[in-house]
Amino acid sequence: MKIDNTQPLEYSTDQNQMNILGFWIFLGAEIMLFATLFATYFIYADRTGSGPTGSDIFEITPVLIETFLLLTSSFTIGLAINAMRLGRKNATLTFLAITLLLGAGFIGFEIFEFVHYYHVGAGLQTSAFTGMLLTTLGTHGAHVTFGFFWGLFILIQIKRDGFNPRTANKSFIFSLYWHFLDVMWIFIFSFIYLKGMM
Amino acid sequence: MKELFPAKQVNGFVFSLVLTVIAISVYFVDMSYEIGLTILLVTAFIQAGVQLIIFMHAGESKDKGSIYTSLFYAIFIALVTIFGSLLAMVWGYM
Repeated sequence: MKIDNTQPLEYSTDQNQMNILGFWIFLGAEIMLFATLFATYFIYADRTGSGPTGSDIFEITPVLIETFLLLTSSFTIGLAINAMRLGRKNATLTFLAITLLLGAGFIGFEIFEFVHYYHVGAGLQTSAFTGMLLTTLGTHGAHVTFGFFWGLFILIQIKRDGFNPRTANKSFIFSLYWHFLDVMWIFIFSFIYLKGMM
Repeated sequence: MKELFPAKQVNGFVFSLVLTVIAISVYFVDMSYEIGLTILLVTAFIQAGVQLIIFMHAGESKDKGSIYTSLFYAIFIALVTIFGSLLAMVWGYM
């Protein structure tokens, strides 16, 4: 394994560089996955049948809290990568832990929100609108939940092994994933919630 | 301590908070549907750009040509999927 010391650790081997490029191509596929969900949601947004409409069930407060949590976690994971490039292990671990806590808070509020939808009679089978709403939100929520455990395992590996081309590469790829989830949330926040409540 | 909070990322975070507040204004301020949707489109896409360039370092490695190519390809397919579906399933019948 040839290590190029002129590059940051996460880019330092050819394999590392290919992993990062490969992950960007995966994110391209994820963009298309969310595009199909958004397309279907927009088509069915008014097909509420005898169920509730968006403005009936959306509540601004939990949505704003979720947005703030995810936006801040996207900032702190950026700081974690910055600290990693400075070789500051404890700072990286702290920022990563804050990111994961914010992510867990986000998941908590989303579960609360889903329970609320269930109680007001907006289930997966109520109408085309609620079905697609829950599928789209659920796909994003499942991604965040997966990311939480992924990040947790990376945190353990950095704690155990310190920074090396392997752990640095994994952390950087995880940060790409986490930022991507924030970008998708921005679109959900704007075009599902705010558009629905306007 | 200061080097742990680089100005570029702090500014990016503040900027994304400002964009979020502007987006929320469509809920709290009374405005027409068209103006509201325009505001949301503009803030969402700028927000996505801030994340990609400042936080995801999309342009920093020698693979940036490939990264931007696959990214723009994905965004193109996404927009065609969304607007094509809307055209075929909703707008065509209005």
